[in-house]
Amino acid sequence: MNRQAMLTSITLIILLSSSGCADIVEPNQLAFVIGSAIDHDENGIEVSHQIVIPSKISGNVKGGSSSDSENFVVISATGKDIFEANMKIQRRMSRRLMENHRMLIAISEEYFEKHDISKLFDKLNRDPANNLSNISIMIKGGRAKDFLMNDHPLEHLSTIAAQKEMDFNGMKNFSSRQLVIDYLSEGSRPLVPVFNIKESKVNNKETKQIAFLFGFAILDKNLKVKGIMDDVEGSEVAWMAGKETFQGVTIPWKDGNGTLSFKFTQLKRQIYSNKGDDKNRIILSVKAQAYLIENTTSLDMFEVDNIIEVQKYLNEQIQKELQETVDKVQEWGPDVFGIGEHFHRKYPYWWKSKKGNWEENFKEIDVKVKPNIRIRSFGTGGERLK
Amino acid sequence: MSSISSSLEANEAYLREQFNNSSDVVIRSLILKDETIILLIYLDGMAKLQSVEDNILKPLIFSGLPKGIDPIQSLSEMFKREWVPLTNIKTGKSLEDLVHQILQGSLVILANGEASAIIAQVQDYEKRSIQEPQKESTLRGSKEGFVENIRTNTSMIRRRIIHPLLKMESFKIGKYTQTEVVLAYMQGHADENVLSEVKNKLNMIDADGIIDSAYIEEWIENNSFSIFSQIQNTERPDIVTSCLLEGKIVLLTNGTPFALILPFTFWDGLQSADDYFERFIFTILTRTIRYIMSFISFALPAIYVALTTFHPEMVPRYLMFSIAAARETTPFPTFIEIFLMLVVFDGLQEAGVHLPNRLGPVMSIIGALVIGQAAVEAGIISTPIIIVVSLTGVAGYSIARYSAFFPFRIIRYLMLFITGFLGFYGFALGIIYLLIHLVSLESFGTPYLSPVAPFDGKRIKDLIIRYPFWIKKGQNKKENVK
Repeated sequence: MNRQAMLTSITLIILLSSSGCADIVEPNQLAFVIGSAIDHDENGIEVSHQIVIPSKISGNVKGGSSSDSENFVVISATGKDIFEANMKIQRRMSRRLMENHRMLIAISEEYFEKHDISKLFDKLNRDPANNLSNISIMIKGGRAKDFLMNDHPLEHLSTIAAQKEMDFNGMKNFSSRQLVIDYLSEGSRPLVPVFNIKESKVNNKETKQIAFLFGFAILDKNLKVKGIMDDVEGSEVAWMAGKETFQGVTIPWKDGNGTLSFKFTQLKRQIYSNKGDDKNRIILSVKAQAYLIENTTSLDMFEVDNIIEVQKYLNEQIQKELQETVDKVQEWGPDVFGIGEHFHRKYPYWWKSKKGNWEENFKEIDVKVKPNIRIRSFGTGGERLK
Repeated sequence: MSSISSSLEANEAYLREQFNNSSDVVIRSLILKDETIILLIYLDGMAKLQSVEDNILKPLIFSGLPKGIDPIQSLSEMFKREWVPLTNIKTGKSLEDLVHQILQGSLVILANGEASAIIAQVQDYEKRSIQEPQKESTLRGSKEGFVENIRTNTSMIRRRIIHPLLKMESFKIGKYTQTEVVLAYMQGHADENVLSEVKNKLNMIDADGIIDSAYIEEWIENNSFSIFSQIQNTERPDIVTSCLLEGKIVLLTNGTPFALILPFTFWDGLQSADDYFERFIFTILTRTIRYIMSFISFALPAIYVALTTFHPEMVPRYLMFSIAAARETTPFPTFIEIFLMLVVFDGLQEAGVHLPNRLGPVMSIIGALVIGQAAVEAGIISTPIIIVVSLTGVAGYSIARYSAFFPFRIIRYLMLFITGFLGFYGFALGIIYLLIHLVSLESFGTPYLSPVAPFDGKRIKDLIIRYPFWIKKGQNKKENVK
């Protein structure tokens, strides 16, 4: 008994002291990277990290105050690849870089043009610190580093602002993971949100450089930008790609007097092959529930006939708009809707012959949009105001 | 064994020798009208003398031998027939027996020329009255608690179970204390094997004295080296009653209000008497919370250390920033910090238990102000640590049976150490070791984790949901009413 106890305790002491202890990193020895930017550089790549200063961000704690100084630092370095640049940053840091809490990776448009993005995601995929739950965005125009440098009038950090902006507008399916999945699957092409930095006046005293959502970039198989949609078209594309982002629409009424505004919920989409032998004909069916929010026309929504007419008209309008967008995408080539995936599942052998040059073949496909939007509520509480 | 001699002087000499230097022993001799000498021996303060005076002394002194239906002819006949107008009367034959009886508070009457003695069991001493139990208070239910006197306690149980199957066997344990221990059980309900095991163990106790039921507990429990107690203690007669009806065995010890109940399982420790007194739906809530709290009470400090120092990526982003911000200026590593605070907390708790009542407020001021506020303001301890330690403390108190909380207090430290060295890997190791220990532990033949391990589908329901009593019996309420 005694001998056994001795042995156990000695083993435990050796075991415990020889392992583990080195893993301890106190929270105040960590530099939390909240956003990263990737820019083009002559040497290869410039990586910038936006690092929070925790005592500044949580204002109530002693010692920290919401003074004029910024609550983040941006540190950047250049290198041949991400790892080398990261090492250079680490050497300049008094704390260990902690990339797990990263929210966003901003990549400049320039880098998209001059480099192979897929190689970027190699490191991101390999590193366990990267759970790929962060968002990848493209910065149009300026450098991605500038995006990190800007502060935001409402949020602590520009990255948090961008992330929240996307979150509240229903754009939840744009993580790096989704990008990698789209990239790896042969039958669909990724969609990347695009931000650009604009001068905007936040109050009478100051104007600030603030990044806003500009639209969505449509990437081809090699992750090259084929075209950029504006935010309205972009969110239509996202809806038809099954990413549920479309928020609402305002349509002018037939007679030109007044407009009708709808909010959409429960966005769904489905792809059907047309019956018959012609595999090239595809029906893209989109579903949604609409809530009438604003009505400046003379229509009385207590009339059932009007309701039916509005619903019919709404579907027609949506069909027209979406069809235009689809045509535009088809002109560019990349299949962001995942129609290829549908073929992959439905006609695997046929798909094999087509997938080699899907970019070109996609242009030949006849995609028909078929909306099915039902009006759920009119928001009318009583007699309309005259 | 020396028998009582017919010579009063010899007897008196023996007793005086036995009781020399005992100021509380009263030996009084009386000379009756017929010149017979009788001797009264008793312990002052232990015997109620009123009835003896009324029923024995007065008749003997003023009117000779007591007269009932027939006058008693002689003193020897009175001794022979035990004709004394008292209920608890017996005659003693040996002097040792007399000494023993006197020590227990009986009055012994010896008479010259008689070779026997009348022992009047008129024990009566100051007792604490029945009060509300302090340690296990409930909102609803009986307010009675056990007292130190074993007969009061047994009567409290008898009053609740009016059935001859309730048996109460008596044991005298302790060489000097001769403490009475009563083994109570429902015949037919209690497991015979457990009963005989308990009886054997009780007989094998070789102690000088039994001061409290805790002594019995340590003598008879299966594994004294475990941090988990395998016998439940309670001062509530209603708990004892319900346990008896469940077929458990109860040990009552004279001199302590704490009864022992066995077998005892891990889950019994997390239950409360209130669970059975409140509406059963409400009980689901309180039980769930109690289970969560008992997990928190031993795991939270360890989890905090593991999360913040080993796996900061697992903490939600903004929470991590707050923790990091709070830790910015503190000098100690998280592990040391939390260990220090736990020691301080346990110290406060220990001080609080032993503190005289009037000093209580002083300590709470010192504890709350100095340790809580000043340590944080001085930047020695970070705020989240204070929150974690207080939450741990509060969680511990939510365990209704106070002594079931002790093991958690120990595990709290063990888990903290192993997690401080190995992170969540250590936490998992600790939990595994704990579970191995728990499943191998037994309380009088009942596996300690039953009915979870070994799994018993019927009984496990009672752990989470306390079904209404009529469902538990498997009866249909409506049919019953008809």
